Order: sequence, then C-alpha cells, then structure tokens
Amino acid sequence: MKRTALIAVAAVAALGLSACSSGSGGSSAASTQLNIYAWADEIPKSVIAAFEKETGITVTVDTFDANETMISKLAAGSAGYDIVEPSQYAVQQLVGQDLVEKLDHSKITGLDNLGKKFADPSYDPGNEYSVPWIWGTTGLAYNEKCTGKAIDSWDALWDPAYKGKIYMLDNMLSAYIPALQVNGLKATSTSEKDIEKATQSLLDQKPLLAGYNSSNYSDLLASGDACVAEAYGGSAIAKVTAANPDVKFVIPKEGGTLWVDGFAVAKGAPHADAAYKWLNFTLRPEIAAMATNDGGSATANDAAKADITDKTMLESVAVYPTDEQLKDSEFIVDPGKALQYFQQGWTKVKAS
Amino acid sequence: MDRVTSWIARLVLVFLYVPIVAVIVYSFNAASGGYRWTGFSFRWYGELFGDTALLQTLATSAVVGVLAASVATVIGLLAAIGLVRYPVKGSGVVLGAIVLPLIVPEIVLGVALLSVFSFLHVPLGILTLVLGHLIITLPLTTLIMVGAFRTLDPSLIEAAADLGCTPWRTFTRVLFPLMRSSIIAAWLLAFTVSLGNIVISTFVSGVGSTTMPLRVYSLLKSGLTPELNALGTLLIVLTFVVVLSVGIQQMRRILASPSGPAPAPERTTAPR
Repeated sequence: MKRTALIAVAAVAALGLSACSSGSGGSSAASTQLNIYAWADEIPKSVIAAFEKETGITVTVDTFDANETMISKLAAGSAGYDIVEPSQYAVQQLVGQDLVEKLDHSKITGLDNLGKKFADPSYDPGNEYSVPWIWGTTGLAYNEKCTGKAIDSWDALWDPAYKGKIYMLDNMLSAYIPALQVNGLKATSTSEKDIEKATQSLLDQKPLLAGYNSSNYSDLLASGDACVAEAYGGSAIAKVTAANPDVKFVIPKEGGTLWVDGFAVAKGAPHADAAYKWLNFTLRPEIAAMATNDGGSATANDAAKADITDKTMLESVAVYPTDEQLKDSEFIVDPGKALQYFQQGWTKVKAS
Repeated sequence: MDRVTSWIARLVLVFLYVPIVAVIVYSFNAASGGYRWTGFSFRWYGELFGDTALLQTLATSAVVGVLAASVATVIGLLAAIGLVRYPVKGSGVVLGAIVLPLIVPEIVLGVALLSVFSFLHVPLGILTLVLGHLIITLPLTTLIMVGAFRTLDPSLIEAAADLGCTPWRTFTRVLFPLMRSSIIAAWLLAFTVSLGNIVISTFVSGVGSTTMPLRVYSLLKSGLTPELNALGTLLIVLTFVVVLSVGIQQMRRILASPSGPAPAPERTTAPR
C-alpha cells in the first residue's frame, strides 16, 4: 500500500515535470528557435516581433541583472543561449574565458552601419566577437533648482554645499569613474597608486553622501531629494530630464565614460545560424532605429539616425551626447589584475 | 506598563503594514515615478497587462511555485509519517539531513546546484528551478508536517485499523482530514517561498524560464516603474483572498465543532 502511494506520487511528479520541461526546453536541428540572454528592456518588443515575422524563428528572451550573472551562467555550461548581450568589459571577460564564438564576418552584413566609436572599439578590436547594439554614458545629473547653478564637473560630487543630497552609483567600477577622473586620472587606470588615490577620494566623500543608489536616483533628482548624482545616461534619466526641466544631465568636463551593450554568439550556440540572422537583422538601420524609437536608448548604428522619428532624442545629452561632448570619454574596460585593487578599496569604502 | 506594550504593539503593526499600504496607494499614482502624488489613475494596471514579458515571467513563477510546493508538501507529509510513526535508528539523522539546507546560505546552494546540473548536463529550465526550490521548501514543509503529525493522537490511527480500515483507508479517511489544515499551511508557505526566491533562481533558471523576481531585479538597470506597484498590489490582493478563504473555512470548522480545530470526521470525509 505504501509503495503504491509512493509510485503514484513519483509518477505524478514526473509527469508534471516532464510536461513542463518539454515546453520550455530543447529544439531539433532545424533552427526555428533563438534563445537570447539580455539586459531587460534593451531589446524592444517590436524588434523581436519583426524578427519572428520575417524569419519564422521563435525568440525566447531571458533577462539578467548583471554581466557577472550572465558570465557565470555561460561558464557553467549547458546554458542553451545563442545570443548574449554583454557590456563592453564583459566582452573581454567572455573572450578571456572562451565563452563566446569568434564572429565569422563573411556571414555578417551591415557592420559598416556602426558609428565610428563602435567600429573597432578598444575592448573588442575589429568587432571580432561582438556587434554593438546600444550605448550610453556615465555622467553627472543634477537638479538646477537645488544647486542654483549649472554644473559641469565631478567636483560637485565632493562639494560640501550639497551634503546629504549627493548620490553615487552603487556599483564598484562605476563609483571609481568620478573618483579617478576627479583626480585627473584615467578612468581606465590599472595602477595601484592611482586606484588608492581614488579610494581615498571616495572615503573623503562618504560623509557627504546620501547614499549609493543605482535604482531610483532619477526620481530623487526630480523630487529634489537629490541635488547631484552620478548617473547612467539613457532612457531612464532622459525621461526625467524631459519631464522636469530642472533636472539636467551632463558629461562632466573630466571626461565621463561610455558603455556599450552588444550582441555576441555564445560558445556552442545550439542555433548558430539563427544567431547570425539576428546579428544581420539588428544591424539594419531601420531595425536599429527601433532601439531609440521604441526603447528610448541610443543605437550604436549611425545609419539608423535617419530613421529615428523623435528628433529631440538626437539632441538630448542624456541619450545622444555629441562627439564634442564625448571627446574625453573612455570605455570602461576589464581591469584585469587591477580588479583586486578596486575590490580592496571598495570594501574599505563600503565598510567605513 | 500595559499601555506602553499596547502602543508598541500598535507601532509594530503600523511598521509592518505601511509598506504594503504604500504599494497599493502608489499603484494608482499617475506620475511616472517618485513619491509625489499627481492624480488617480489606472495607467499602471494598463501597462502591466500590456507587458507580456513580465506576465510571462509571472506565469513561470506560478508554475514553478505550484510544482515545487506540491512536491515538497507530498514529500514532507510522507517524511513526517515515516519519521514519526515508524521511527528507526537514524530517523533523527534523516530529519536533520532534510532540514540542513535551512542553515546553509542560499548562495552556496545555488552555486553548488549550478555545478551539479552542468556536470550532469541537465539543461537549465523549469525542472532545475523546481528542484532548486525543492531544496529550500522541503525543510519547511517537513518541519510543519512533523509538528502536525506529532500532535495527532496515535490511538486514532490504531482505532481506525482496529475498525477494519486498510492503511490506505486510514490515510484517506482519518489521517488526511485531520492534517488537512497543516497540509494547506505547508503548501502555501512553500509556494510563497518559491515565488519570492531570487538567489537560487539566479543560478538555476535557464532558457525561457526567467522568474518574476529575476525579471524585476533585472529591471533595476533601466529603472523601476510604478507598474511594479500595480503588480505588487495584485499579488497582495490575491494573497489576501487566499488567506481569507482558507481562514474563513478554518473559522467555520472551529465554530461548528465544539471540540476545537479538529474537524468532525463525517463532515470532512463526506466529499470523498
């Protein structure tokens, strides 16, 4: 009796589980499927719908919260993703760990549509492993009503006048950008001495801070609870600057930095042919323009600018800063061995 | 002194419920962010129901939650019956082994699961999510079931056997009805834990199986919207409905039988 009950339970469980796993999982040799692992909200629904309609391929999109999550998933193997969307430094890490395929450029058309900043970028020479999709900046946002004047320097984040109304991004490498640049150092520095100096600046800054915040600083700026904040450029801050004229976003004169999220083909991608179709599809100007039209982000595709319907986006510093504003901006790259200096410093800062 | 205690109790209640009330209130705020009230609106509910990506992850979470909670409850019940009714040397060790994941940090379990699954070439997906959530829900359901089973008078089971019930009939006619409220409690607790899990899910979710908390967490980069308040409100309402309906049933039973929470056998077994 006990045994029959157990068998029944086991059978029910097995039925339930297998029914589900077949629904979500594997496919056969013909690529009618494409599995994408991407940042949330960076690929507009319209792009996916258009791709599915044209190719008949079913697209599954999963989202991650950090590059590191995505890398660890791929590193463990058997993740089943075809296309991943790493940020610039994550491309280097993926290449270093042999987790992405070298792109076969003979199968890709439209790479010349990319802006010149993104063709042959420092983190991926020759676009050997990744195709940039959208980009943005790390800069300074402030509420002019609160500051009473225009601001153009990272110095504002160290200004005692704004004590208790200063926010920094809650991300190690992002927090070090102003800390390094305010000292006249490069944000890509890997020297232990430079990083120590930046750590000291962060420690000095801490009593002035209202907090480290990567999620709702734009709301805090809009309501005036924050005066100045280190901010990511992009759709979130652009919405706030458009809705509230007091809130401004600037690329600080020390340079600021650039980030790029692009597509790469995962090593051993089960649907590699579909992955290449995706790369070619998203390189088309009219498709890339959807990233701005529907997603509110800046596309790395220069040819797409003609297809952008809301021309004010092209003039917004938060979305499309000009080359002039970006002349000193750098890509944050994988710090390599210097990562430990950042980590030691960051631990000290967080603990103080 | 009593007054002080009663005020503290009130403050604690306020503290517990303020965030919940805030979520509900702000889900009707027309503003696209921040805490300034700009007007009443159903806008965010509209956006929520148009957000297929978020709803898809909610469905994934529900499927995983139902499966994990059901399997964990069944195993917990069987484990309790085995451990309490038929104790052998080593029963304590078995119980300890089941409960151990409670004190192991979830992140350790997550990393370990990811390595095990990739070593065994198990594709990450609903199956691995359910297995992962099972590890953290099983201790809870087992503990509840063991506790509930211990409070049962063993003579009831013996009496049933004495009156000619087979073990299976004893289970369906006596044991199950007596333990029904604990089973429901265990299931609901396991479901809630599974629904809210983020650490283990991060490691064991795969293609097409992003869960709702993972989705919400990944939205941090592009900015949270009040749409999530609408989602939170609906989940809170759902929870209230479930808890109330279970609670009302329980209350009715308590009121109906003078002997306390134990239900009268003839009433509860009738539907079978």
